[in-house]
Amino acid sequence: MDPMALILQIAVIILAPLAVGLLRGVDRKLTARMQNRRGPPIVQPFYDMVKLLSKSPILINNLQVTFAGAALLFQAAALALFVAGGDLLIAFFVSGAGSIFLVLGAFSVRSPYSYLGGQRELLAILAYEPVLFLAVLSLGMRSSFLVSELRGGLLEDLPLVLLAMVPVMVILLEKSPYDVPAAHQELISGPYIEYSGPYLAIMEGARWFQLAFVLGVITLFVWNDNTIVSLLGKAAIVLLVLFVTIVIDNITARLTRERMVMFMLTVGIALVAVNLIYLTIFPEGLI
Amino acid sequence: MGLVQGARKRSPWILHFDTGSCNGCDLEVWALLTPRYDVERFGAVNKANPKHADILLITGPVTRKCEDRLRNLYEQTSGPKLVVACGDCASTGAPFHNCYNVCGGVDKVIPVDVYVPGCAARPEALIDGLVLALSLWEKRMEEEG
Ligand code: SF4
Repeated sequence: MDPMALILQIAVIILAPLAVGLLRGVDRKLTARMQNRRGPPIVQPFYDMVKLLSKSPILINNLQVTFAGAALLFQAAALALFVAGGDLLIAFFVSGAGSIFLVLGAFSVRSPYSYLGGQRELLAILAYEPVLFLAVLSLGMRSSFLVSELRGGLLEDLPLVLLAMVPVMVILLEKSPYDVPAAHQELISGPYIEYSGPYLAIMEGARWFQLAFVLGVITLFVWNDNTIVSLLGKAAIVLLVLFVTIVIDNITARLTRERMVMFMLTVGIALVAVNLIYLTIFPEGLI
Repeated sequence: MGLVQGARKRSPWILHFDTGSCNGCDLEVWALLTPRYDVERFGAVNKANPKHADILLITGPVTRKCEDRLRNLYEQTSGPKLVVACGDCASTGAPFHNCYNVCGGVDKVIPVDVYVPGCAARPEALIDGLVLALSLWEKRMEEEG
């Protein structure tokens, strides 16, 4: 591989999570504006991150930080695979392993809230992973499983799959109605509750990498032969999905964990299935 | 160093704990989160979790039942941390002074950095107290080098 491409890929791997941090700031600002508040500056997540890293570490046991580190490593590896144009399915499974380490970290301490958070995180994984998996599968079946070989026309062929990604993002961004694992008023911050200072920063970093990967999957729907148009389209689709999740967050209240799982395993999967069925009947696509 | 200090000042995460207040001060603390006062514009978030908190907002006189819990929460908060006593009760024990079931102000149990007077402490005063606490932060960091 030529060195320019390699440098570019490394830059993307470093910059993508930072972009996610910025998006989370935009998210907080937009949410505040929707609630008629001023809201924090959009670089707030970075202030939070630097502050967390500078706090004095309190560790409950070594296992906890091991799992936090593993979660970060796996999510970063998933993103790296994705950016390097590797196999989408493998990247998906690596990222899934990263989320399991989040749960293991929650189970590694003896706090009942952390346990509850961990169990709910497992349910959340049960809810969004199948849909995300099917989305990845349909992308791969329609085009290619290698990110580097994926080409255009996916948005026209798979609009319902993109729609199914919206509730996935709602769960991943911990937005109502499905902010079940970290339910603020009942579980405080669920699986993250026993992490403090720099260790919390590691977990937050893992989340940024994970979101970067999943948003990356969303960008795959858009493609144009012109690189600049392609990039603009990808940015637009990410911002659109994010905006929809923020609106959903602000107009709904939290539902129970059962309803989250039920919704995702019925409606979420059905959306993907319907899309795939009509693609089989009309291979040219409907639009 | 400047970066860390700047980030600290802009991201004070809050733990609010009621040690036996009449709930007057609590309502005012909660009012801080409403669109009218919106402390989130300073980056402050009510985390409700000592492990994530930087600033402890304590309301009410410390009852004997709450004494251990308050100390426990303080010890679980990772440093550097600041404590703001919100309202007359938290500052001195006020009307509950010398009650058989009350230790007195928050400073009888844990060190307090800022006292916000008022019964109940007005949200504006609480924001002032918070900002004062943030400036203490700078001073404390300078002292520690
Ligand atoms: S200071 Fe006043 S309002 Fe606040 S807890 Fe005490 S009695 Fe209640």
